[in-house]
Amino acid sequence: MVARPIVELRDISVRYANGVLALDGITLDVNDKDLIALIGPNGAGKSTLLKVILGLIKPTTGSVCLLGSEDLAKNLKYVGYVPQSAQARDANVPFSVFETVMLGRTPQAGLFHGVGLKDRRKVEEMLKLFGIFDLKDRKIGQLSGGQSQRVFLAKAMVADPKLLLLDEPTSGVDTTSKTEFYNTLDRLNKETEITVILSSHDIGVITKIANRVLCINRSQFFCGEETDFNAAEEINKMYNYPVEIFEHDDHP
Amino acid sequence: MMIILDSLWSLLQAGFVQRAFIISIIIAVLSSVLSIFIVLKKISLIGDGLAHTAFGGIALGYYLNFIPLWVAGVTVVLGSLGITKAIRSTRISSDAAVAVFLQLGLAGGIVLISVARGFGISLESLLFGSVLLVDYDQIITATAIAAITLGILFLFFKELVYVTFDETQARASGIRTWFFDYLVSLLSGIVVIVAIPIVGILLISSLLVLPALTSTQIAKSFRQTVILSPIIGLLTVTVGLLLSLIMNSAPGGTIVLTGIAILATAFAAKKIQRTFSNKTDNHNHICGKLA
Repeated sequence: MVARPIVELRDISVRYANGVLALDGITLDVNDKDLIALIGPNGAGKSTLLKVILGLIKPTTGSVCLLGSEDLAKNLKYVGYVPQSAQARDANVPFSVFETVMLGRTPQAGLFHGVGLKDRRKVEEMLKLFGIFDLKDRKIGQLSGGQSQRVFLAKAMVADPKLLLLDEPTSGVDTTSKTEFYNTLDRLNKETEITVILSSHDIGVITKIANRVLCINRSQFFCGEETDFNAAEEINKMYNYPVEIFEHDDHP
Repeated sequence: MMIILDSLWSLLQAGFVQRAFIISIIIAVLSSVLSIFIVLKKISLIGDGLAHTAFGGIALGYYLNFIPLWVAGVTVVLGSLGITKAIRSTRISSDAAVAVFLQLGLAGGIVLISVARGFGISLESLLFGSVLLVDYDQIITATAIAAITLGILFLFFKELVYVTFDETQARASGIRTWFFDYLVSLLSGIVVIVAIPIVGILLISSLLVLPALTSTQIAKSFRQTVILSPIIGLLTVTVGLLLSLIMNSAPGGTIVLTGIAILATAFAAKKIQRTFSNKTDNHNHICGKLA
């Protein structure tokens, strides 16, 4: 028997209250263990699409099925999410790194149940996995972009999700941290067999670690295997601007 | 000095002063725990908005000749629901939403009082509180409400913490954030009604802001904030009341000024600590280079 896709999007369109058409006719099946690179210019609807999968935005037309159910709320505890703004924190926000990662266990504990020793051990495990155990008592607002990004990835992963949604996780992060981040993600996808949808502008590097690519600019331009993806051609179409691609060893 | 201490000691023996301390401590603990969620959710003006809604409710109660505090309770509950609905709406910013309800309550109350030529209400006692006139029934009511409110906060604590940290991430993990937004607002309304006899309408919002604001300047984690906030709340009302007895000043105003003085001290201590640690870092850096 063929397993059902983790996410099924059928003809998704989103029109905001102000009349702006954010997405138009997106159809996608995300299969188990996929690492999908979601590419598009600013304002293309990448964040909107991720929010549609999470049920944060209701599509104007079309249907969403998450882990086999159209009742999205039922399965959200199996989804890890790192939003675009996650790293932007006021330095005074009184949450330590440990407490921030622990928040990821909240849906697992359930209503009226506190987090326990098992949860604390899981948090420690994640802090060690992402190399941030030494930062556990630091305030979240006092971390660098790269450190903060690892904290939010640990928070998303601490709930043992089946699906990980990352919305431009490397924006505002230096090149070294970006490379480390993508290496970690590649390793996670291969070792834990987690399904990942990753939106980013780092086209060169994410298409190298992804097995499938989805290009959107409100409507869908390309959806297929990474091996069939012609970056120059698709970027030309999406941005409506001629581009040439140069490989450079020092830059991902 | 000895004369002041002697007269303070004899005042502290008086029943009305002891009742004032008891109810102040109850309100301080309750409001300082709730203030953590209010300050971190960036809805600090909600206490002010609800207090002015209560003012309108009290005036309406007098106008209808029905227990004013009960009518105020109903208007505050409705106000808290309305404010939250307006804050959650994307059509209006949260500070503007609170301002509209604040103006509605204040203007409505003034109109009702002027139409009925004052009702014989002591406006001063409503605006600035009269903690020294509190009776045992009020203490029992405040204790019961504090127990219920803190119980509710304890039951939903981890969800409230998550929603306070980041509403979008909490929603994305399946938490019904709308419920917790309304819950915080509703509990704030209840605290406002209970606290009006102590600090009055004009100053109640300070008890729902200052303890958490001060504790976040000092605390290094959320856990520390939860411990420090009630301690700062207790310190504020206890020192404030003692000072008001010594100086024979208005208790509500003195309590709030004490809270602001504690906040200023926390800011100053933080700045000194930061300057000192920067100097130490620079010193270590230079010494490291020389070595």
